[in-house]
Amino acid sequence: MISFIVLMSIVICFSAILALALNFQWGLGGMVNFGLAGLYALGAYACALLMLKGGFNTFFATIGAMVIVGVISGLVAFVTLRVAEEDYFAIVTLGVGEMLRLVALNEDWLTRGALGLSGIPRPFGELVPAEYYAYFMLAISAMLVAATVWFLNRVARSPFGRIMRAVREDDVVAATLGKYVLWARVRIFAIGGALIGLAGSLHAFYYQYIDPTQFSTIVIAYAFMAVIAGGRGAHAGTIIGAAVVMVLLEGSRFAKDIIPWLDSDQLSAIRIIIIGVGLILLLIFRPQGFLREYRLQVELK
Amino acid sequence: MKKVTRRKVLKTLGAAAAAPFAAPFLNLAHAQGATIPIGVAVPLTGNSGPYGPDMAEAAKRTAARINNAGGILGGRKLELFIEDTESSASVAANLTQKFINVHKAQSLVGYWGTPEGLSSRPIAIQNKVVLMVSSAANAITEGDTQGYVWRFQMKATDWGIVISRAAEKLGFKSFGIMGLQNAFVLPIMKVFEERITGAGRKVMDSLIYNPEQPSYRAEVERIFGKKPEAVCCFGLLPDFVSIMREVYRGGFDSKVIALSIMADAEGKFVQAVGPQVAEGIRHFQPMPDVSASGYKKFVQLMGAPADRLFLFPPNTHDQIAITALAMEKAKSPMAVDWSKQIINVGNGPGEAVDDVVEALKLVRAGKNVNFQGAGSSCDFTPNGDQIGRGMGQWITKGGKSAFVEYVKP
Repeated sequence: MISFIVLMSIVICFSAILALALNFQWGLGGMVNFGLAGLYALGAYACALLMLKGGFNTFFATIGAMVIVGVISGLVAFVTLRVAEEDYFAIVTLGVGEMLRLVALNEDWLTRGALGLSGIPRPFGELVPAEYYAYFMLAISAMLVAATVWFLNRVARSPFGRIMRAVREDDVVAATLGKYVLWARVRIFAIGGALIGLAGSLHAFYYQYIDPTQFSTIVIAYAFMAVIAGGRGAHAGTIIGAAVVMVLLEGSRFAKDIIPWLDSDQLSAIRIIIIGVGLILLLIFRPQGFLREYRLQVELK
Repeated sequence: MKKVTRRKVLKTLGAAAAAPFAAPFLNLAHAQGATIPIGVAVPLTGNSGPYGPDMAEAAKRTAARINNAGGILGGRKLELFIEDTESSASVAANLTQKFINVHKAQSLVGYWGTPEGLSSRPIAIQNKVVLMVSSAANAITEGDTQGYVWRFQMKATDWGIVISRAAEKLGFKSFGIMGLQNAFVLPIMKVFEERITGAGRKVMDSLIYNPEQPSYRAEVERIFGKKPEAVCCFGLLPDFVSIMREVYRGGFDSKVIALSIMADAEGKFVQAVGPQVAEGIRHFQPMPDVSASGYKKFVQLMGAPADRLFLFPPNTHDQIAITALAMEKAKSPMAVDWSKQIINVGNGPGEAVDDVVEALKLVRAGKNVNFQGAGSSCDFTPNGDQIGRGMGQWITKGGKSAFVEYVKP
């Protein structure tokens, strides 16, 4: 049981980094990212391919994946030059995400298509004994989550953080005050993208096998659920949100081990309903999410 | 109203988060004690959702039969943990971790789709637990599996061999080929194309299409527009439904060859497109030998009418049966020991028995058995591929599938 909790905690860690990236782009920067699943896949595939075909080690492959997803995300944000409206930008990201997914599915020579990539190496996989590996990976993942939160908090409280919020609230006002809105948006998306690349790399290390079915649109739904439940704009809240979503998803499986009259066919249908009801209740009783954004927290006191 | 602080929120959430994980501790002793846990991962929701429920039912009935006859290893009962893979590779990997780490299962059965099998394979090998899949892609058993991965299905490349031979026999001179971008379809398609050109037939065009497209008009026009005598289409039910609608609308008259999970799918295809569109489609699928007494006993066990065709549940039955027999043979519930006995009880040498309870009695008496399953004769190659499963051919006439023949690769 302990090892299962440890393993699921690793999943929570990389889901949390993904949710933090979305929270940074959408919660703080006001840029909706519906291409999340595609960019997440890009991160995982970039990391895996840099190791399997490029001969990189795990550390540089992760850095490489972060750079690649960051740069691509920055380029995507560049189109905000033309489509600054939130809805239009959302459609653009959706298209980009879909394109990336189709590339992963169809470019057999590179990604092995639907077969997926297997045998992905893990950081220090040879040095750490297999029975302790889960604990080791949890330690690394938790440190990365902590580092991400620390970094994002720094950014949110910096002058750039204020520009981000200004752009989110009203980009015309921000531009009138002499802020370079396009450049701010490119940076917001690129930083978020790099974090998506990090989450994707951890996903690849954890599962050691990636294929296009793992990056379906449901990934986007879970990430948005985590951000909304956690409180849009609040970093610590997002981590709690990611944990709650994961506990609801995996924990609800145990319902049938506890309740004897519930069998697996029924549970598989009921589970999704339970998760939905849980979120609706949360949004009714705590619409602002678990925690609040740093600025708004100050105002509350 | 009480003030909500971060600490309170964290405490409550922490407790709420821990509760579902902590609860199974209550019955953990029970799970680890006398019973033998088996993890059953089947698709109950998602795009392969229709195939899972009967597999779960077969697992339950097989385990109940073994338990009612006294269990294995001196009276220990099999305890099944059935979970929904949601037709997803990452969910299947999480389930596999749950089976191994929470329920301490040493045998993992079900695993319908190829991605589910591929994502669980490294976990099973690392933990030295036996993984028995129902998926076809060759990659599942390729490489070093250390004897822990076993396929209860015909290998994908063999599907291509059987179908190409049948297509040759039917006398078609020219072919068009369409395949879904999917891990198990691609090897079938590749082998089919190689074999059919090798037999001197002409492949006019072939293409791979993506899943979940709203329309396949361009693909259909390209392949059927060249007017080949026959078009072979390999994929799944949803894409085949829209392809055949386009074919009917376009008035193309090439004969269509497909898989039964597409062109029959227990009647769902005809329901979706109507008997006119489905008329004359030939379809193939690996199937149990319905004339074998092992299969007949299985249909009885399921309480189904004698002419009912089960494609996948007999494999789940065989997976549970082979697990029980190998454990009994090795006198150990640990996969490290009993994984070595799988070939022994499946291939023999020994007395051919098609009933798991009878076979268990013989093994207990120290005799050798050659178990004949419900889905196949349960013979394996040393790297875990199943041999001896055949393939059926049907033709759709008047909205019904008429059986043509049963052949082995």
